[in-house]
Amino acid sequence: MESVSRISSLLESARELTLDAAQSARSSRSSLKTMSTAQIKKLLDSRNDREVLEGLRRVISMMYRSQPCLPFFSSVVKNVASPNIEIKKLVYIYLLSHAEAEPDLALLSINTIQKSLSDSNAQVRALALKTMSGIRVPVISQIVSLAIKKGLGDMSPYVRKAAALAIPKCYRLDPGTLPQLLEYLGTLLGDKQYFVAGAAVVAFLEICPERLDLLHKHYRGLVKKLVDMDEWSQLATLRLMTVYSRKCFPKRTRRVRKSRRDGTEGFYRDDDDEQEEEEEETGEVVEVLDPDLELLLKSIKPLLQSRNSAVVVAVARCYVNLGTQEYVNSSIGPLIALLRGPQDVQHIALYNIVSVCLTRPEAFVKYASHFLVRATDPSQVWELKLELLTLIFPHCDAYLRSIILNELEHFSGGSDKELVREAVRAIGRCAQSDSRTSARCLRLLLKQITSLDGNLAAESLTVIRHLIQQDPASHTNTVIRLAKNLDTATNPRARASIIWLVGEFSGIDGENNIAPDVLRILAKGFADEAEPAKLQIILLAAKVYLHHLNRSDIQPEVQKSTPESPGYDDLPSMGNEGFRDLDNPLDTTYQAPEPEPEHPIITLWNYILILARYDTSYDLRDRTRLYKALLAVPSSTQLASLMLLAPKPVPHTPSPSESRTGFTLGSASLVVGEEGGVNGLRGFEKLPNWVKPGYEPNPSLRDADVGTVDYDKTRIVPAGERLDSAVRDTRTASPSKTNGFGAAGLGKEKKLEDWLAESEAEEESGEESSEEDAEESEEEESSEEAEEESDDDDNERDSLVK
Amino acid sequence: MSGAVEALHIYDEHNRPILSHIYTGRPLSAPQLLPLYMSHAQPRPSFIYLPNTSPPTLVFSLIHSNLLFLLTSSSEIEPLLALEFLHRIIDVLEEFVGSPLLAHKVESSYDVVAQLLNEMCDAGAVSTTEPNALRDVVEVEGWLNKLLGGINIPGKTGFASAPSSSNMSAISSTGSLAANTPALPWRRANVRHTSNELYVDIVETLSVTLAPSGRPLAAFANGTIAFTSKISGVPDLLLNISSPSGKQNINSVMQLPVFHPCVRLARWKEKPGEMSFVPPDGRFILAGYEVDLLPFQNGHVGSTNASNLKLPVQVEVKTGLGPTGSDFEVRLFITKVSGQGNSSSSALSSRSSNQLGGRGGFGAQPGTSSTPTLEDLVVTIPLPTDVRNLSEMRASRGDTTYNPGGENLEWHIPAKEAVTGGATLRCTVAGPLVDDEDFESNGFRLDGRYDYDEDTYQSTPAESEKEPLKVDETSNARKVAQNKILMPSSAAVSFSVKGWLASGIKVESVVIDTKKSRGIGEGVKPYKGVKYLTISRGGIEARC
Repeated sequence: MESVSRISSLLESARELTLDAAQSARSSRSSLKTMSTAQIKKLLDSRNDREVLEGLRRVISMMYRSQPCLPFFSSVVKNVASPNIEIKKLVYIYLLSHAEAEPDLALLSINTIQKSLSDSNAQVRALALKTMSGIRVPVISQIVSLAIKKGLGDMSPYVRKAAALAIPKCYRLDPGTLPQLLEYLGTLLGDKQYFVAGAAVVAFLEICPERLDLLHKHYRGLVKKLVDMDEWSQLATLRLMTVYSRKCFPKRTRRVRKSRRDGTEGFYRDDDDEQEEEEEETGEVVEVLDPDLELLLKSIKPLLQSRNSAVVVAVARCYVNLGTQEYVNSSIGPLIALLRGPQDVQHIALYNIVSVCLTRPEAFVKYASHFLVRATDPSQVWELKLELLTLIFPHCDAYLRSIILNELEHFSGGSDKELVREAVRAIGRCAQSDSRTSARCLRLLLKQITSLDGNLAAESLTVIRHLIQQDPASHTNTVIRLAKNLDTATNPRARASIIWLVGEFSGIDGENNIAPDVLRILAKGFADEAEPAKLQIILLAAKVYLHHLNRSDIQPEVQKSTPESPGYDDLPSMGNEGFRDLDNPLDTTYQAPEPEPEHPIITLWNYILILARYDTSYDLRDRTRLYKALLAVPSSTQLASLMLLAPKPVPHTPSPSESRTGFTLGSASLVVGEEGGVNGLRGFEKLPNWVKPGYEPNPSLRDADVGTVDYDKTRIVPAGERLDSAVRDTRTASPSKTNGFGAAGLGKEKKLEDWLAESEAEEESGEESSEEDAEESEEEESSEEAEEESDDDDNERDSLVK
Repeated sequence: MSGAVEALHIYDEHNRPILSHIYTGRPLSAPQLLPLYMSHAQPRPSFIYLPNTSPPTLVFSLIHSNLLFLLTSSSEIEPLLALEFLHRIIDVLEEFVGSPLLAHKVESSYDVVAQLLNEMCDAGAVSTTEPNALRDVVEVEGWLNKLLGGINIPGKTGFASAPSSSNMSAISSTGSLAANTPALPWRRANVRHTSNELYVDIVETLSVTLAPSGRPLAAFANGTIAFTSKISGVPDLLLNISSPSGKQNINSVMQLPVFHPCVRLARWKEKPGEMSFVPPDGRFILAGYEVDLLPFQNGHVGSTNASNLKLPVQVEVKTGLGPTGSDFEVRLFITKVSGQGNSSSSALSSRSSNQLGGRGGFGAQPGTSSTPTLEDLVVTIPLPTDVRNLSEMRASRGDTTYNPGGENLEWHIPAKEAVTGGATLRCTVAGPLVDDEDFESNGFRLDGRYDYDEDTYQSTPAESEKEPLKVDETSNARKVAQNKILMPSSAAVSFSVKGWLASGIKVESVVIDTKKSRGIGEGVKPYKGVKYLTISRGGIEARC
């Protein structure tokens, strides 16, 4: 979706930017006049709120401009106790960025901040908690942990959210607090308020993404809250749920026939999956979704219409990695819709679309016209669009195919060289995928080889070569046509490609082949060729000569015996002897056929050998020597045939993005590709594989939550619909009601879970679980004070333990 | 695993860092980062990976009204998350420090910006980004002054035109954060306005591609519904939209819609065309959609052509004209489009038109639904880099701008000249200075090339044109061939039309559901206004 600012600027096109700028230049510069340090300090030390505020503003401005403002530390921090909330906020902001540099002075402020934790205003409490956890002074980690604990039980969801967000910060301060933090997280994940739960998920991902066991009993609750969370929590939750589902729901496909139902039932009973079976009745091969997984997939469907492109991609990722074909198909339209966003979003969205398209190109066919390249597209965008067009090409009908080819043809005739090159490559990929259109593609490509741009000609020739190799039989005439082109083609690479092709086809039609003739003409201009072309000429000569030998071999078998022995004798010595032996075998070979008038091909071969021998390039000379040695013995061509006439593997040009298939949809690694390393960027983790059937955690772990599930079974509704109930809530709001202990009914099971998992910290957790039990039963009487007390108890014990 | 936003840097138009906010970690500083970013060739992608810095850094960039925003992270982060966050930052800053966002405005309200940035992202995790929620938690002492000084220039629309008293109440409500459940995360508490207003602005951006034959290949209108609500209390609104083919078909017209979270999706599914929602206070984007203007394209070939599209402007480019093929011609046909019709606005209470010019309503001032007008008509023709100059430019209307050696030729037709009818622009290109002698020496190659052309399947247009010419045949043909690569390959048309939508979508009504709403006084009838706008920003592209 477009951002407000962009639409506003469209609507108010006649905006007087310049006027504004001029006006501001007059007004603002004066107020920015710099003040001396002493003056600012004086302001900060003033008793007047207004002056203090002014001083703080100065300091914040200096901070943002990266000017040193540490000298003010003590003066600023003094104001932390100010009752004025604006002052307080600015002091907090200053503290957050500077406390690290002055840890001792910062400690002085902690006490005051701690007091604010009990302020009557929820905003102040939340802010204090946020600031305290954000101060990067490791000594206070225990205090922060206690503050978080206090925040857990706060009436205001804002404070609880701040507590959730403080958890990863506390963990960063001191990883040793992890056991306590996990306990807090358990509570917060079950919070009834969706934005508290969302923040808890963010914290969970940060500190213990592998502790999925903590999630089981909150799974259904979280899935149901997902639609109501803010977009950023949705992103975190979707990320988490994708991993969770892979690890907890084994992938099953099932072949079910009505008659054989009994058998399958028995089989699947082992997997603890009775409910599922009853739903399943007919069908051949069905991917079976766990009901809990289906709950997730269904409930995130509305998010495909989210205004946030990241959410749409996250849902698509979830569907592609977890869901069935139907779900994936439903996410394709919304992905395409991202293309109408601003250019930056469009660019990233295209990477994701390509990634999905690689696996399911058919589904994208109907959106083909969205991928047409526009003249204003930057190179990063049209590259991806061209790729998409070639990916869907094999699945299109004839009409669309011709549109796509027209499109590629148009751009291959353009003036942007990069674009032309990519278009030519794209044509090649299209031809590769569909033999019926390859004639047309070839025609398009042949147009390019006369291009004045040498690189382009070379590029298209390479593509043509690939095409011809795929179906050599039907392309002999094309090769002849290409050979004629040798007169005009100037680019060495282009010439090399053509010559190589001629060489490949030199064995066809026996004596009628054009190859010797081509070689003859090339030999004339050998000296003027560039090195790549020369190399190919030598190769061509070798092939032509070899074919000639092979042909003549068949007829005069008799000749064979005479020259064979000297040839073989000399061969092994060649490696050791250096230049000398170059001449020796030459002599022998020349002498052998001399009696008869030499066949022109032999003369040609010898001529080329001599030409190459005096070339300046080492490589060329070496190769010549190699070929010469290979073909030294006219009668024994087996080895040479193996080397030179081996059938070439058909080249396959992969789509450029195929190297990225290992990266998860929506990740930065997908966009960066190989540059970010084989394993993606730092922090990138591949999705785990599906858990094997039988190894998944017991589904009944998720049932433990029955109490809360009942509470909002039917409530997968946008937050908007909660208005009425919320209205009622505000009227009758009682503190106990908003207390956020959604997980109250299940404390027992969860604690057991925790206890099992944390066996290393046996003693402490054991204590805790009994403690918790007590706390829980107290809470069931729904008395606020009792809970406060137990909180205090906990605090005390904590400090004792440490 | 979950990436964190580490720092945000803002640079002004001279690339001077004006703001750096560090969220977490030890990111690169603003001056360190800039040269690394600038070292990428233009156009710079919005996401750049810097593998050689320590730590390796992901940089996300966005340029908005000459300010450069850079956001960094040092580990895997969803790129779209980062980019969306940048867009939100810009939206929020515009709302709080005034639009357009200028460097000095940011600099003179660092305290507000600091609070905003601090609330929007908590130690790397994006948190509150809803402008309404932010208004509850951010202290803005001087906000009113800045509003007046910054953007309240007479004649401006948008929320700046709200009576200042409503802004007062916005401020006074600050701090009284509802202690318990916030009903709606996107709507702030205790909204009070003295005059209640509701505006719907529908903007459609065109994206049309025409084949050389004039046949449209793709034609889309990307629509956005912007909503401005200034209603006290908690109103529950119902917006009814219809398409020209009736209300039932709205789903097939408005494709792939996306919605603000406030819209009740279930209602939309049940009754397409009805959006029921509790709006945030102020301006926001209610929904986005796209309209395929060629719905039968997959049906089959040919019958469609540009005139079926009913666009206000049609364009046609011909290249390779004149004896040496050095001319090209752009033809425009301007047609009159009929407005959205007045049936809709009559349902809405009429508003004094001086307050918000150009809104739908009664009256025949230009740019309303009854008389849509074409404005800002510009044709942009990108030229190949080899073009040295345009030796001649003749436009039948309007004027042209071109700098020799420049990349684009622009043809402006001012609004008063953009009346119904045709217009043409004919230009002659001049390519690089070629020494004829030199060219001749390469001659045998070129000749060979023609040989090739003749005996293969292709016949270039160059050749078909050279045939009628008897004298100088070869030299002209050569020039035609030379000039062929100097011809533009496309032309793009930009314009805006007020009071008309390409899709024909109309707002039928905006109603406050009095039963569900709260806090609105009895008998309060808000001002309502609807504005339609179709924009093409180089969106109509004709190939040639």
